[in-house]
Amino acid sequence: MVGLSVGEKNFIKGGIAQDLRNDGRKRLTYRPIYVETGVIPQANGSARVKLGETDVIASVKAELGKPRVSHPDQGKVYIYVECSPTAEPSFERRGGDELSTELSIALERSLLGGKSGAGAGINPASLLIKEGKVCWDLYVDCLVISSDGNLLDALGAAIKAALSNTGIPRVQVREAASSDEQADVDVSDEEFLQFDTSGVPVIVTLTKVGRHYIVDATSEEESLMSSAVSISVNRHGMICGLTKRGGAGLDPSVILDMISVAKHVSEQLLNKLDSEIEAAERANEEEP
Amino acid sequence: MEYVNPEGLRLDGRRPMEMRQLRAEIGVVSRADGSASFEMGNTKVIAAVYGPREVQNRSQQMNDQALVRCEYSMANFSTGDRRRKTKGDRRSTEISLVIRQTMEACILTNLMPRSQIDIYVQVLQADGGTRSACINAATLALADAGIPMRDLVTSCSAGYLNSTPLLDLNYLEDSAGGADVTVGILPKLDKVTLLQMDAKLPMDIFENVMQLAVEGCKAVDSYIREILLENTKTLEIHRGV
Repeated sequence: MVGLSVGEKNFIKGGIAQDLRNDGRKRLTYRPIYVETGVIPQANGSARVKLGETDVIASVKAELGKPRVSHPDQGKVYIYVECSPTAEPSFERRGGDELSTELSIALERSLLGGKSGAGAGINPASLLIKEGKVCWDLYVDCLVISSDGNLLDALGAAIKAALSNTGIPRVQVREAASSDEQADVDVSDEEFLQFDTSGVPVIVTLTKVGRHYIVDATSEEESLMSSAVSISVNRHGMICGLTKRGGAGLDPSVILDMISVAKHVSEQLLNKLDSEIEAAERANEEEP
Repeated sequence: MEYVNPEGLRLDGRRPMEMRQLRAEIGVVSRADGSASFEMGNTKVIAAVYGPREVQNRSQQMNDQALVRCEYSMANFSTGDRRRKTKGDRRSTEISLVIRQTMEACILTNLMPRSQIDIYVQVLQADGGTRSACINAATLALADAGIPMRDLVTSCSAGYLNSTPLLDLNYLEDSAGGADVTVGILPKLDKVTLLQMDAKLPMDIFENVMQLAVEGCKAVDSYIREILLENTKTLEIHRGV
């Protein structure tokens, strides 16, 4: 937890009111974002995202699984977040579990769409190999290494980068003799398919401090928040998920205002993130 | 299976007495008091140190020395097959204990009574030798945190396969069923602080294998000192001295 004196609190609040925050940013400016892809060689895709002093890793592993009975035409995606005690001593043993679960659920809500698969960043139908028999299960594992506020946005960005780094082996289904038999599949170890990640949204969290709201709050600023709204917006400006946290109530008109601001900010963030991911991929190709 | 081919090369192309590539970086977790990442080939770990600080649990406070704690955790994606592990299983508890005892032996705990030092190690990639890599990362992180130590502790493992002593086993060699000797030393004082072995070895061969591991520790030590010196130089430049 952050320990702040009354003077420090007032200083941060005053800075936000005057649109000049402690680190010199404006209310709606992100910290510099740094992306590195392919950091975990044994995963199908991975990325490390640093947002100021917040540092997270996301990895994607694909395993062959069976589609759900309720949705035989879709693959499955799972998101798990783990908070390492390196980020905060209070995360040791089971201390980080609560936050981990909160972040996992918020990410699933923001990125995976509804039960039917509508609004999902990755089209679950594209993970299907044979209807009702075989599909890809995507396991997205995230690790928080260092935390300085705004974990959700950083994790969202890391997942987006990891997904665009992911290669799924091409799979050929051999025609099974009878329909109820276990499907026979050939997993290619040479050909890899890339995902269409253009639809993966970014998450913009607006944190309300005093009368104003800010993006990309540091942990000092987060300790002063009254409430926060996380909005995930995709390339087309559509809202894919929404989470409100914090105890204080918000006026409905303020929420609508926040959403339109988030939509505006997300455009810049998406462009910045896309160019960072591209630069990271290029650096990877040049290295070996 | 053949772990050393007739040309004398191992599965990953190393010579029997060759270490994997070492890589270390200091200050990877900027909010911790001290931190470092350490890589031995494909094994990659991060260590963060918090403290010396007030003891969180008063009943554990000691009036004559500092309390040293350690937690070892493995990321879900660190191993080849994805497994969801519960925290605090037997293996990680044992490794936490080993690291704690090893680091406690070199920290001058009597200089910091009534305080607590937390060492957190996080495995990002596991490819054999995580124990050694964790100890090396923890040493660097403690040095980065400026915690007074008798000496640096460095660790390295060695094994014995196909009648050849092998230095710094990777996962495949580690799971081959041969002996695996993990040694931790205080290089300047020339003392062994950690020694673990599984499987069995004849006495005279054990001596050779252990000697090889000690040589490995010394090589790690010279690398770690190089990194620390480099780090001090950059700090000096930042201060404008």
